[in-house]
Amino acid sequence: MARIRLQSVSKAYGGGQAAVTDLTLDIADREFVVLLGPSGCGKSTTLNMVAGLEEITRGTLLFDDEVMNHTPAHKRDVAMVFQSYALYPHKSVFENIAFGLRMRRVPEAELTRRVHDAAERLEITHLLQRRPSQLSGGQRQRVALGRAMVRQPAVFLMDEPLSNLDASLRIAMRAQIRHLHAEMRTTFLYVTHDQAEALTLADRIVLMRDGVVQQLGTPHDIYERPRNMFVAAFLGSPAINFLDGQLSTESDAPCFRRGELSITLPPGIAATATRDIVLGLRAEDVGPVQDGFPVLRGMVDTAMPTGSDQFLGLKVGGNDVFVRVGKDSAVREGETISLGLNPARLHVFDKASGLSLLHGHS
Amino acid sequence: MTIVVNTPSRPLLPIVVRGCGLAVASLLLLFYLLAPVAWLASSSLQTGREIVSVPPHWIPDHPTLRNFKAIFSAIPGLGASEAPAPDGTNSGGFIPSTAGNLLPAMLNSLIVASIVVLLNLIVGVPAAYAIAKIRFRGRNLALYTVLATRVIPDIALVVPFFLVVRKLGLLDSLTSLIVTYLAITVPFSVFVLASTFEQLPDDLDRAARVDGCSRSQVLLRIFLPLARPALVAVGLFAFLASWNEFLLALMFTQTAASQTLPIIVAAFTSDFTVSFSFLNAAGVLAVLPPAILAVVFERYIVSGLTAGAVKG
Repeated sequence: MARIRLQSVSKAYGGGQAAVTDLTLDIADREFVVLLGPSGCGKSTTLNMVAGLEEITRGTLLFDDEVMNHTPAHKRDVAMVFQSYALYPHKSVFENIAFGLRMRRVPEAELTRRVHDAAERLEITHLLQRRPSQLSGGQRQRVALGRAMVRQPAVFLMDEPLSNLDASLRIAMRAQIRHLHAEMRTTFLYVTHDQAEALTLADRIVLMRDGVVQQLGTPHDIYERPRNMFVAAFLGSPAINFLDGQLSTESDAPCFRRGELSITLPPGIAATATRDIVLGLRAEDVGPVQDGFPVLRGMVDTAMPTGSDQFLGLKVGGNDVFVRVGKDSAVREGETISLGLNPARLHVFDKASGLSLLHGHS
Repeated sequence: MTIVVNTPSRPLLPIVVRGCGLAVASLLLLFYLLAPVAWLASSSLQTGREIVSVPPHWIPDHPTLRNFKAIFSAIPGLGASEAPAPDGTNSGGFIPSTAGNLLPAMLNSLIVASIVVLLNLIVGVPAAYAIAKIRFRGRNLALYTVLATRVIPDIALVVPFFLVVRKLGLLDSLTSLIVTYLAITVPFSVFVLASTFEQLPDDLDRAARVDGCSRSQVLLRIFLPLARPALVAVGLFAFLASWNEFLLALMFTQTAASQTLPIIVAAFTSDFTVSFSFLNAAGVLAVLPPAILAVVFERYIVSGLTAGAVKG
């Protein structure tokens, strides 16, 4: 159990390229924080710095109130699950799980008990005598989890632990990891590039890009109030639609204009010098036309039923817009339809800076 | 109506011809490689007269352990035991005057080779691990510097080595051989071990460190067991290189106190007569230790130990 604080932490490699720039993060004890971002965004580097596997170039790392910058990995009370699992191929499953305990000179009886407990929880007791090469991907993954669990560490680190599993197993394991967090009652720091994983698991998400934090907040915050276009585009499936246009303040309410399209925006747009703005519209934020609400008209280019839902590719004034409609909606390709928009659910960005213009986003 | 399509099977004849060709070629190669060894072993059990008989006897008519007895009964350091064998002076059955030096020389060779193997591993393993798994400034430079020493042929090193060894007062000592053999074998060991460690996933290194291993514990507990085939290969190489080395040993050793097996065996031909039977018995003894080592460690020289380490 530990509170982890990163204070203006930076990591630069020999060639001067920065992997992480000025990262400040305060992770409460027992919190589940997910570092999210595309590959190369510095999330794994951050995790490795917390683990002690990478040196910190600048800044301070604290566990509770203790500076950890120069404490080697084996003296930090952390456990880590790797994307590749990194099981010791020459050791049995039992010895793999027990290894961390052996290194810490845990008495044999206690060690055996803890390994068996973990194995039972993960349902791998029958595999304890096998070698890693005799296991399936999912089983290896459990062994890797078990190896970290038995340590009962102060900080539990996971580096894309589910990316090598197939889709259905991945979803099942998400639930298991949530349970694990609840039971272990320790601080979790989890790295992934999978937004669904992040949204499901995290108490808070740190969304990173090119070594810089883009937004830090609860999954709900980050999804509903993205600070910039990158955050808006990274979260959500299908991806958010962006429409370029102009901000018009001629009437009393601010308005998004693009050719014939005119959409009344929610009040409270930040004062901005620019008139070039980008409207962000999530696929699910359309509905039936309602009085007083802005309307989006477009020609149906493609209709894609997915079973539980139906997605439409619309042509709106030369732009492609992807929306979700009910599965019962009987729309044919080539038709022109009108959809209602909820101004409260629209996102507005400054085109030049990419930052959100809605209040309370930054 | 069904249409039967005969899939054209591959013509049989070329396959047979190819198989036979390969078999014949393999047999020829085997004969080329093994016949000298077989003759060495066979003739070590023959008398001098039988060896030179025409046609040669691959299987001795009268196998005798006389040659081996001579080796094991000769008294070390006693030079004047050059005695004709009982079957006559013309038989070529002389026991060379230096026969008694053979066993001490073997012991010298064994000491030198074992220490060279040991030091190779002690020096090579940490060096290779550092080069393979620790990111430090000058890592590549270190590797290339180590390798560059192997670009220079041994013959060019003989004189400088000799001068250094003489200055250090190490002439005619086993130490001189150990030091120079290390210079020759360590770069190769570091190179082989570094590429082996490099192939082991970085995540294993990191997992072990998070699990509570210091760098040296990672090396001892994780990497060494996994690199066993390479360790055996490196050890065998160092052993053979030291066991067989002739040129440097010829330069640095002068007396039986430090002479190694190749020097002593070579000296057997510098007597007035060459006793092929005795020479071949000595040859058999010289071949035995490396052969035994190869057989003992053969089962370790298999890879595939890393299977299952990472996602498969």
